[in-house]
Amino acid sequence: MASSAAVPFWRAAGMTYITYSNICANLVRKCLKEPFKAESINREKVHFSLSKWADGKPQKPVLRSDAPEV
Amino acid sequence: MAMAVFRREGRRLLPSIAARPIAPAPIRSPLSSDQEEGPLGVRSISTQVVRNRMKSVKNIQKITKAMKMVAASKLRAVQGRAENSRGLWQPFTALLGDNPSIDVKKSVVVTLSSDKGLCGGINSTVVKVSRALYKLNAGPEKDVKFVIVGEKAKAIMFRDSKNDISLTVTELNKNPLNYAQVSVLADDILKNVEFDALRIVYNKFHSVVAFLPTVATVLSPEIIEKESEVGGKLGELDSYEIEGGETKGEILQNLAEFQFSCVMFNAVLENACSEMGARMSAMDSSSRNAGEMLDRLTLTYNRTRQASITTELIEIISGASALEAAK
Repeated sequence: MASSAAVPFWRAAGMTYITYSNICANLVRKCLKEPFKAESINREKVHFSLSKWADGKPQKPVLRSDAPEV
Repeated sequence: MAMAVFRREGRRLLPSIAARPIAPAPIRSPLSSDQEEGPLGVRSISTQVVRNRMKSVKNIQKITKAMKMVAASKLRAVQGRAENSRGLWQPFTALLGDNPSIDVKKSVVVTLSSDKGLCGGINSTVVKVSRALYKLNAGPEKDVKFVIVGEKAKAIMFRDSKNDISLTVTELNKNPLNYAQVSVLADDILKNVEFDALRIVYNKFHSVVAFLPTVATVLSPEIIEKESEVGGKLGELDSYEIEGGETKGEILQNLAEFQFSCVMFNAVLENACSEMGARMSAMDSSSRNAGEMLDRLTLTYNRTRQASITTELIEIISGASALEAAK
C-alpha cells in the first residue's frame, strides 16, 4: 500500500483499541434479552482506585467505578 | 518420672531452666507478674493466666481455620477462570514471541500484589523480582518506572523506590475480577505512562502450594517494528497477509494494546489464585501452630494445678505432724 490508510475513526478520536472493543462489547451486551442482560451487566462492573504519583508523592486518588467503558 | 517430664518440658519452653532437686520443680514463666512464692522459694504461674491464654489460642485457631476454608472456596472459584484465561495470550506469544531480555530505553514494571494481608510471602517475592528488574534495566539513558497494583506492594515499594513509582492502583478486588475492569485499567496505564516495553510481574499459579513469580513482557508497537527488521520471530510478520485497509503499523498497534490487556487479565487472575493458595497454606500452618501451642499450654496448666495441690497437701501434712510432735 502506498500511503497509510486513514486512521480508523476511533483512533482519530483518541481511543485505544481496548476502549473500542469495550464499547463494542457493551453494545453486544445491551442486545441480550432481559434476565441475561441484567446478569451480564452485573458481571462486568468496574471498580478500582487509581492515583498518579509525582516526585515520590501520591496525588489525589481517582475512583473509577461502575462504568465498563471509559 | 515426673521430674524427667518437668525437665523435658522446661527444656522445650525455656532453654535456660535448671531443675532444682526440690519437689515440685520450679516453673519459670514469661508472665513474671503472676508468680507467687510458695514454700521453699518455689515459683509458679497462676492457673487463671494459663487458662486465659488457652482460651485466646483456641479462638485464634478457630479463626484461622475459618479463614482457610474461605480461601479454599474462593480459590476453587477463581482457579477455573485463571486456567481458561491462559488461552487469551497464547496466540500472541505464538505470533510475536516472548522477549524478556529485550533492551529498551523506557521500561515500565507493572507489579501485581494483593490488597489484603495474611497471605504468606507472595507479595515480597513479587517486589523482590521487580527490584531485580529495575537493577537489570536501569542505566544511562534507560529509564524504569513502576506501576503498582495492590496495597501490599505499595507499602513495601514506598520505602525505597518511591521516586520511581508513576501509578498505583488499589481496590481492584472489590468486585469479582472481570475482563472489563482489567481492560479499563490497562487502558489507563497505556494512556498515562510512556513505555517501550512493559514488564508485568505476578505470581503464576502452578498448584495450591506452588506459585512462581513470573515476568510477562509486552512490547510497544514501535519496538516491534524495529525488532521485526532485525529478524527472528518478529521478522516473519511480513509473511502474513493483512486484510482490510489497515497498514502493518496500525495492526501492530492494535495488537500490542490488546496483548497488554489480555496478558494483564491473565496475570491478575493468576495472582488472585496464588494469593488464595498462599493464604490457605499460611492459615493452615497457623492453625497447626495454634494447636501445638494449645497442647503445650494444657500440659503446663495440668502441671501447675497438680503442683498447687501437692503444695497444699505438704502444708497440711507438715502442719499436722508439727502439731503431733508438739503434743
